[in-house]
Amino acid sequence: MNRFIILLSLALFPLQVSSHEMTPTYPKFKSSYIDGVLTTRMRLFNSRADVDYYQIDVFDANWNSMPFATTNRVMGISYLQTTYFDIYIRDLDEKQAEYICTTSKIKKDTTATTAISSRICSKIK
Amino acid sequence: MFNLKTLTMAAVVASVATSAIAQTQITGSVQSKCSVHTDTQGVYVNSSPNILSTASTGGGIAPRVRFDVALANNYNAHVSWPDTFSSSPALSDSVAWSGSVEVGQVSDPLMSAYETSKIVYNNTSVYDLTIAGSTWFKVESTATYGYEKSLPGGNYTAIVLAECIAK
Repeated sequence: MNRFIILLSLALFPLQVSSHEMTPTYPKFKSSYIDGVLTTRMRLFNSRADVDYYQIDVFDANWNSMPFATTNRVMGISYLQTTYFDIYIRDLDEKQAEYICTTSKIKKDTTATTAISSRICSKIK
Repeated sequence: MFNLKTLTMAAVVASVATSAIAQTQITGSVQSKCSVHTDTQGVYVNSSPNILSTASTGGGIAPRVRFDVALANNYNAHVSWPDTFSSSPALSDSVAWSGSVEVGQVSDPLMSAYETSKIVYNNTSVYDLTIAGSTWFKVESTATYGYEKSLPGGNYTAIVLAECIAK
């Protein structure tokens, strides 16, 4: 019954949805066109009207930052837009790299007194 | 005679086409996915001169965040109440922070067990999302300024961190 009510609410009030979503959950790196560099493609969906930018990070198992390359580490993504981005790491870092994360960037001029920053981390397989 | 042959051929072709349509399949897969929804942005209320709180007893609004997971046992939810202001007027004294995170509404009654099995460290609560569906988390936050000092006038903002981390 609860599920029915939730689904009904989502169907009736779709404009109230405000979410941050990233897939795949378990990305795999594969060889890129550059020798010694691996790549994987991630998908990000932004339905948070209050967020226009997301930061990309790669971490090891102890949450230390790992070196990586991508087009923009802080990327702009409009409301209700889906974007794909590629992550590049050195093949010698493949075993240490554990998480790929995106974090919402809150605007400084937000009018909310408690803002919510969301972060989603996929685990590298 | 020619017409009969044509009709027969047309019937055969139609029959083959029909069987091809009958064999058309719809395939799909459900992939692991987590989405973090900002359900309610909270509001601090200056219930006492030296306190900002989201407590509803003082008229504040507690922020609520929803986690949706498509498959069970793939994600942990880390929800943290704020321990600093992200923006505020200049403060000349220290701020003592307190807060809590608790499971609110759930899409599956079994998710109510999340609250008893959560792990709490510092200002963060970790929930193992062992059931597919939606879980709402309610975050309470209180900031107490100095020793019975009035908070300076201005706008204050603090950030709740909601993380969905693959296991």
